[in-house]
Amino acid sequence: MKLILPPGLTKARFDQAMAAFARAIGKEWVLATDEDRETYLDQYAPGRDESHASAGAIAPGSVEEVQAVLKIANEYRVPLWPMSRGKNFGYGGAAPRMPGTVMLDMGRMNRILEVNEKAGYCIVEPGVGFFDLWEYLRSRKIPLQMGIPGNGWGSVVGNALERGFSGNGDHSNNICGLELLTPTGELIRTGMGAMENGKAWALFKHGFGPSWDQMVVQGNFFVVTKMCLWMKPEDEAAISVEVKLDKPADIGWFTEAVTPLRLRGVLDGYVRLTSYQATATVPTLRKEWYQGRDAIPDDVITKIRERFNVGWWNGPIRLSGYSDVCEANLRRLLDSLAKHTKQEFKVTRMAGNAVPGPSTYPLQMVNWFGGRGGHIGYSPVMPADGRLVLEQFERTRRRFIEFGLDYSGTFYNDGRSATNVNLILYDKDDAEQKERVRKLFVALIKDAKEQGYGEYRTHLSYMDDVADSYDFNHNALRKLNERMKDALDPNGILAPGRNGIWPKAYRDQRGKL
Amino acid sequence: MLVALLALAPAFAAAAEVPDAAALARGKAAFTHRCSMCHREGGTGTFILARRLGAAKSLLEQRTDLEPTYVRTVVRWGLVNMPRISRVELPEADMDALVAYLTAPKAPATP
Repeated sequence: MKLILPPGLTKARFDQAMAAFARAIGKEWVLATDEDRETYLDQYAPGRDESHASAGAIAPGSVEEVQAVLKIANEYRVPLWPMSRGKNFGYGGAAPRMPGTVMLDMGRMNRILEVNEKAGYCIVEPGVGFFDLWEYLRSRKIPLQMGIPGNGWGSVVGNALERGFSGNGDHSNNICGLELLTPTGELIRTGMGAMENGKAWALFKHGFGPSWDQMVVQGNFFVVTKMCLWMKPEDEAAISVEVKLDKPADIGWFTEAVTPLRLRGVLDGYVRLTSYQATATVPTLRKEWYQGRDAIPDDVITKIRERFNVGWWNGPIRLSGYSDVCEANLRRLLDSLAKHTKQEFKVTRMAGNAVPGPSTYPLQMVNWFGGRGGHIGYSPVMPADGRLVLEQFERTRRRFIEFGLDYSGTFYNDGRSATNVNLILYDKDDAEQKERVRKLFVALIKDAKEQGYGEYRTHLSYMDDVADSYDFNHNALRKLNERMKDALDPNGILAPGRNGIWPKAYRDQRGKL
Repeated sequence: MLVALLALAPAFAAAAEVPDAAALARGKAAFTHRCSMCHREGGTGTFILARRLGAAKSLLEQRTDLEPTYVRTVVRWGLVNMPRISRVELPEADMDALVAYLTAPKAPATP
């Protein structure tokens, strides 16, 4: 990828800045060749690569080196985009929102600093991946469990900072203390870590005064250098209840059956229900089923379901903890389901530590069209109400069919809210199809906004659109975020445009792709 | 780039030189840490390669037709669904060892 300069920076000034970065952290860790820039493109870009092309990357190896980088970036007005491991596929990967931004690659800072078995937490740097932490726990026989997202290739820290989640719930809820650098380089620890000799940094979230951890999540106010993250003690037992629902409308009564149990803690993680298609997109190619350019029709859906012996909606419900409590919770669950259906559910009992490790297996889905594939997700948050969930599903599926794309939806029920992840797969080399994807995405934002639902997370290309939809009192929250951005980051060097928050220096870039 | 790589891959012959044991060990470690999550038995890369080239060519560590430039280029530029790997994730010295490991002559398979 050829060099695209940051807005307002001359080539000469850019070169001077890169030379200064090299003097500060070593030229080996200033990555600015065309090939380097290629490695920081969004692998699954739904639009043009140039829309989110970086000008290169800087990879400091210590807190002190990050501070040196920030000082130089402020001096030369070089915008930086902090990234942990860049495996946030579907949301932008290792690429920035604004072309010409330099990636601040934290991957070299990859130490597991502490794992505390008794209190159930770890302290890690941004470059630590799920595979690294998993191997650390397994090799030392430490009986702690970690939440692992569908793509286990990424960073533990980066995932939590994006509000990534797994069956264990929202990983950002497990953050208990951060070490941060402000854009101007001051080192801060949040919560109890704000004490010089704080002993409860990773134990109590809030400390004294305002609690800052969630201000950091999905923001662009700081660079995170360490994270304390809670982990769950290994369970004694687990029970899996296999759910296969035959009709699309079954999601309505199912939601009503499980929501009260989730609210009361009988079910201790998200209750996930996924449409049939997820079973086909990983092991098979679309052309094995259907060659048309419209959405897969109902008769083909029936064939897919028959081959894989799955329902229209599928999802195991996992109960875990002490074995007697699991059995009691299982009875509650089966009783609740029996009020709505005569269907029997397969129950499997297993050891509590029989949990799958990190995997990249689901990434095969991007091969659905057989060539260079990609995916993005549209994921609004809504009430966990059976009628509303059914309406949301039907409305969304109609849109997929309207734009000729295969519906693939999942609802994650958290007792009060449900997060509706809609997976959109496409062929990166099919421009006409990608245009339909763009139109679908815009329509879904509009539809959800009309219902009062908003996305919890989105791809770089849609951050401004989604931020627009959070419009109470003329987008007052975004205005507050941008006042804070300008106060903490006067030169606007950190992640301009992230989640719709633009610093004064680049505010004219809002909406540009 | 993609078309060129796909066309060239089968034409390469296996490297003739035998790298030293230390380089092979470092290369195997690099493969384990940076590639194995997709490119060993049951991995995403293995499945997709089996689809594209057949099962016999799906496991990279067993391949005898990989060529250094090809390996290096695929790692940095990606290929089909494979994401690109940066010099931070796989520094040049590890890349050299990885290339040596994947292109080293293989012992004949035991019947």
